[in-house]
Amino acid sequence: MGKVFDPALIIEFIPTLTKYLGITLEILIYSTILGILIGIVAAIPKLFHIPILKQMITLYISFIRGTPILIQLFLVYYGLPAVLMLWNIDITRMDALYFVIITYSLSNGAIFAEIFRSAISAINYGQTEAAYSIGMTRFQNFYRIIFPQAIRIAFPNISNSIIGSLKDTSLAFTIGVMDMMGRGETLIASTAHALEVYISLAIVYYIVVVILEKVFKISERYLNRYQPNGTATI
Amino acid sequence: MTIDFLFIWIAFKELLKAAPLTLILTFIPIIFGFLIGVSVAMIRAYNLKLLSPIANAYVSFFRGTPAIMHIMLIYFGIPLLLDILIKYLHLPIQSNSIPIVLFVITALSLTAGSYLSEIIRSGISSVSQGQIEAAYAIGMNTFQVLERIILPQALAQSIPNFTNLIIGFLHTTSIAFLVSQKEITGAANIIASKNLKFLEAFIAAGFLYWIITAIIEWVSYAVEKKAKSYTNSAI
Repeated sequence: MGKVFDPALIIEFIPTLTKYLGITLEILIYSTILGILIGIVAAIPKLFHIPILKQMITLYISFIRGTPILIQLFLVYYGLPAVLMLWNIDITRMDALYFVIITYSLSNGAIFAEIFRSAISAINYGQTEAAYSIGMTRFQNFYRIIFPQAIRIAFPNISNSIIGSLKDTSLAFTIGVMDMMGRGETLIASTAHALEVYISLAIVYYIVVVILEKVFKISERYLNRYQPNGTATI
Repeated sequence: MTIDFLFIWIAFKELLKAAPLTLILTFIPIIFGFLIGVSVAMIRAYNLKLLSPIANAYVSFFRGTPAIMHIMLIYFGIPLLLDILIKYLHLPIQSNSIPIVLFVITALSLTAGSYLSEIIRSGISSVSQGQIEAAYAIGMNTFQVLERIILPQALAQSIPNFTNLIIGFLHTTSIAFLVSQKEITGAANIIASKNLKFLEAFIAAGFLYWIITAIIEWVSYAVEKKAKSYTNSAI
């Protein structure tokens, strides 16, 4: 630290840091989209009880839920180049940002898979039977009956995990990504005002989380518009 | 580059020595956080004047910022405040003689408190109003209602959430290595840099976390079965 605490610096640092908010949000958006895709693919074997694949997915989900995101980040960062080296693909010079996006996508994928699976299995089987009895096909049953109900159940969990994921992006700087936190670290190195930098960072993260929470709350109300009382049942 | 499987085992044995610190950093903050969480949940449930807005702001802020921020803010902020206090009172101690682990525990306790207060609050709201009315009807006072009726049911209801939180915190302790603590991740980093075997060291660390997580899940399952034995439900 070394220098005197200067509250004026907190305000001064915020514009510098928000310039790098884009990278943080980029990690969040890409890893959420890829995570949803992985989650859908991973939920299918568990829902349809496909042998072997189901066990593999269970192992994958258990591993992701059983290890810290920091360890996963290091494993991908050091492990992926080693694995790809077996096929003579050299990615050691790849931008660290891609490693971060891969890690967070894999991590989100496991969490989303569990969310999707539990949402779909929460829907009463009578719904499917009713859909078949009025002559719907399997596909129609899924996208007209099951999916709209499942998304409503899954939404609060999805929004929680996206907010959790945003907070996790603050660890990306450990492998040298220049996101908001990474910029904060360089600011500390150049100004030696660590506390002020962390206060500014906390303010920016907090504002982003509050905005996300508001957006999710409005979306949730929209998704629940056909529910009695207009409130979520979960 | 090939993976040295033997080294994973060697690293794993080394990391086992770091596991106690990880467990200390997980459970001590949760115990303190539990006390904070119950108090905050009570303040919010009874909507106490003055304290209630403070409690709301605390929960909102700590849930809205990454845990690494809390560690860093406490790590850099508390010594600053202490220095002022020491200078003011002319005490013969120095803030830099305080072990860093205390800052980490303080920060994580505050983080745990905010998450636990929400878990306890949702547990309390799951206890039906009729139970509380019945307790008052047989002449219990507010404290008795709380201690005998609300809290036991609320806590039993919250066990799955507690488990998730404990596991979440086990994983959160990995960021303590950023303030040079020798817990599992910190130790793995040291072993990795000493032997230049990063992948193997982190695979070993991953396995160790995975095993601890599995044990916590297994214990919590047993506890939940016992805590809910009175309900006769299928769960």
